[in-house]
Amino acid sequence: MSDLRDHEAELVHLLERLGRRTRFAEVMADRSRGLGVRLDKRSTTLSPQPRLEGAIVRAWGGERWVEAATSDLSASGTGNAAEVLDRQLEKASGGHDPPGESATTRGERTEEPAQPMRDMDPEEMIGLAKDAFGWATAVPGIRDTQVHVGWTDQERFYLNSAGARCFQRLSRVIAGVAPLAFENGRVEFDFLSEGGIGGREQLRFLTEEKVTHLAKGTLELLHAKAPPAGEMTVLLDPSVAGTMAHESFGHGTEADQFLRDRSYLKPLLGETLGPDTLTIVDDGAYPGGWGTIYFDDEGHPGQKTVLVDRGRFVGALHDRETAAAYRTKATGNTRRADFLSRAFVRMTNTYVEPGDWTLDELVREAKDGVLLERATSGIEDPQGGQMQLKVKKGRKIENGQLTDLVTSMALSGKVLDFLRATRGISRRADFELGPGYCGKGHTDLLPAGTGGTYLLSTAVVGTA
Amino acid sequence: MTATPPAETAFRVADRLRADGPWDVFGERIRRYEIHLTGRSVEMARGPIVLEGYGVRLLRPRDGRTGVGFQASTDLSDDGVRSALAEAEAVSRHSVFPAKSVALPSTAASRGAPVDVRDRALWERPMEALEAHVATLLAAFDGKADVAPSFGSLRATLTEASIANSSGARASFAHTTVELELAVKAFGGPEGPPPGEYWVNDSFRRIEPGRVRGDVEAWCGFARDVRRARPTPSGERPVVLPPSVVAGILPSVLGYRFTGGARLREVAPAEGTVVGVPELSVRDDGRVPWAIASAAVDDEGTPQRSRTLVSNGAVSGLLYDLLHGAAFEVPSTGNGVRGGEWFHDWRRFLHAPVGTSTTIVVEPGTSGSDAEVVEAAGDGIWVQQLGWAIPDPLSTAFGGEVRIGYRIRNGKLAEPVRGGTVGGVVLAPPGSPSMLSTIGALGSDAVLAEGVLSPTILVKGLTVAGPGG
Repeated sequence: MSDLRDHEAELVHLLERLGRRTRFAEVMADRSRGLGVRLDKRSTTLSPQPRLEGAIVRAWGGERWVEAATSDLSASGTGNAAEVLDRQLEKASGGHDPPGESATTRGERTEEPAQPMRDMDPEEMIGLAKDAFGWATAVPGIRDTQVHVGWTDQERFYLNSAGARCFQRLSRVIAGVAPLAFENGRVEFDFLSEGGIGGREQLRFLTEEKVTHLAKGTLELLHAKAPPAGEMTVLLDPSVAGTMAHESFGHGTEADQFLRDRSYLKPLLGETLGPDTLTIVDDGAYPGGWGTIYFDDEGHPGQKTVLVDRGRFVGALHDRETAAAYRTKATGNTRRADFLSRAFVRMTNTYVEPGDWTLDELVREAKDGVLLERATSGIEDPQGGQMQLKVKKGRKIENGQLTDLVTSMALSGKVLDFLRATRGISRRADFELGPGYCGKGHTDLLPAGTGGTYLLSTAVVGTA
Repeated sequence: MTATPPAETAFRVADRLRADGPWDVFGERIRRYEIHLTGRSVEMARGPIVLEGYGVRLLRPRDGRTGVGFQASTDLSDDGVRSALAEAEAVSRHSVFPAKSVALPSTAASRGAPVDVRDRALWERPMEALEAHVATLLAAFDGKADVAPSFGSLRATLTEASIANSSGARASFAHTTVELELAVKAFGGPEGPPPGEYWVNDSFRRIEPGRVRGDVEAWCGFARDVRRARPTPSGERPVVLPPSVVAGILPSVLGYRFTGGARLREVAPAEGTVVGVPELSVRDDGRVPWAIASAAVDDEGTPQRSRTLVSNGAVSGLLYDLLHGAAFEVPSTGNGVRGGEWFHDWRRFLHAPVGTSTTIVVEPGTSGSDAEVVEAAGDGIWVQQLGWAIPDPLSTAFGGEVRIGYRIRNGKLAEPVRGGTVGGVVLAPPGSPSMLSTIGALGSDAVLAEGVLSPTILVKGLTVAGPGG
């Protein structure tokens, strides 16, 4: 099978050519293949991954980085990219060495799943989607169901003038089911979505039992009450705890925001932010994680970085530049959305480590409050330290018992207050790591995993 | 010697497409330029990032329905076009859409009247124009000891779009888009409150240097107000939404629930259904000058126009692309839009068209200026910025954190508020309150803000949940 390594000669030549004008250059070639199936009552849509491949070249201009990208990996295409950079480097003279340490990693990671999705016939993918559709719509009252099954094989090939050479192939699989119910003009849905690196084993969660349960839950949502509003005890399910770890906390640990003085967390490094039961990590090496990477886009291996260790804020995420500024090591978190996008410090799989409570114990401890389930989105506020998390549904907690089902909610508050108010985290048996897409702001989306177990704290809740 | 520019991308692909119709090709030749800022310094300048590509769509009759095949590619070689075609053909054997046949726009029908969507100065000297705009932006912060940008980017996309189809239609147009992200930070004094930030995220078609000073003054004011803001109070109270906030709510909901796609899935409102107050009229208009989604023709080659969605509070029409129009045997309304369903991708050729809104136009009312709308609110909240409303198009629920707002007391803007959430539903069954059915006032002036052209709106039926009393 051909892969990006077939273009190694052109990419090496490009680096050699740039080496005459710069103290450091790197190139990242990127290619994806894949297929998605979306199915509902009226239509079936197949979406192949676009035939889009190319390379981005970054060189140090003495004072700042310059970049050029090409979607043509032939000698002529990479030559044109080199010319663009040559012209920019010509203008930049003198200056200093590039910030930080250049990676020298050499490695290839192409772990092949036992049953790669690329070997699955499209009709078989459609068949899987139809099964899930059939299970959901067999529940009386479910009018329609949207099912999605998809896979992507992404190759990245990174080379730099310091000798790094990293090739990786990541096979990501994702699927989701969303049954729909209507009544008297009200439309509701619930959803289930899982994904990770691997093959068709990632689809094992699509069982008749789970989908039927989901569909029955959707019908209940038609009669769900409005959520309570105001400041109260909140119990986050694993998906919401993970979204909190990523959006509310994690973005403030991306050290490029430290350099810009745009993180409320920067002055708190080393401080205690929560109870000693609270540990938050970012783990690019998490086996099978949706956001796992073998190498980042500066040639550093993906790794586990502890951000909060037993309540103490101990670590941030670094690229070469921020690592140099803070006299530490890059953490394998430099990521580009694709070969056309610039690199930023980004998260991989971010999660809250499990604690030792059971869910029942947390509900009793909550006494009165609300359980928030099925995270739908979150947005960061790295400067202000506020939080916004949105969920599809929840349950009231009254006198230590789960009671009424309630509709979608938004959670708000100050992240530091929220962490300090953490009163309990449930056991490893509840742990989930789910798939999501993360933006740096509103752009540059890339796969990021979020996870955790049930987490009890205090926040403001309202309708959303 | 002046080089002859190559013909439009879609035409070059169409000329080599050996396929039976119906088919269409959407092509783009894109130049992208970016300037990234850290504080007041340029961290990185990028560009030109040059990308040329196309999407081929095949519409194959299959047992009384249509097999839809689509593939996008940047490979314009003969082999590349053949490969993309073969993949689209394979996909069409599995994808099924409930339309008997789809009629593509003909040569004559694909000629829409021009609309202003190209910034000429930006087109001709892109990096210089961006650099000049960045300089103007930064200069507007001069002399401000307590406010400065901390992070930002200005990204310009210059696109030559082209469309060709098997009915002989050939259309092309050029357009520019600029995305601005700017984090404006207010600070000062170690004993003072923590820094405050107003985070600007905006997209527009042209650079208007004349607006910069006023915009920066306003952003700095909001950033300062974040520092002194009090907690948002809880309760059901009137909420005033300026156009920039309306832009985060209405397009996502109306752009799905008022389309042929929603009708196909039985979630579109029936014509005549009352969804709003009698003063409310809403249309979709693909020809609003300088609007992000405006163009002479849509992304399927159908001329753009204005389409009424809500007239005096009642539903009066839906939006259709070619496929969904064919499913209901009605013509496309010019709402075939590429660029992704949830996030607008600057590489539109990568996406098959979907039926959605272009610019949602809320017709202005008679409630006067913003100050008069605030006066009508009496006691309430002005929401200047929500964290992210992210409406759910199916249930139409929306909501988000108040990043910065203002208390309205006795009909006047009072102290800034921050935190807590504002939310509700855009559409609700008869008898239940919704955003559209509890509008208390519509301002007299419409302002273009990304996907809407809207006046400031006073809504009486939204829930405010905050830590404040």
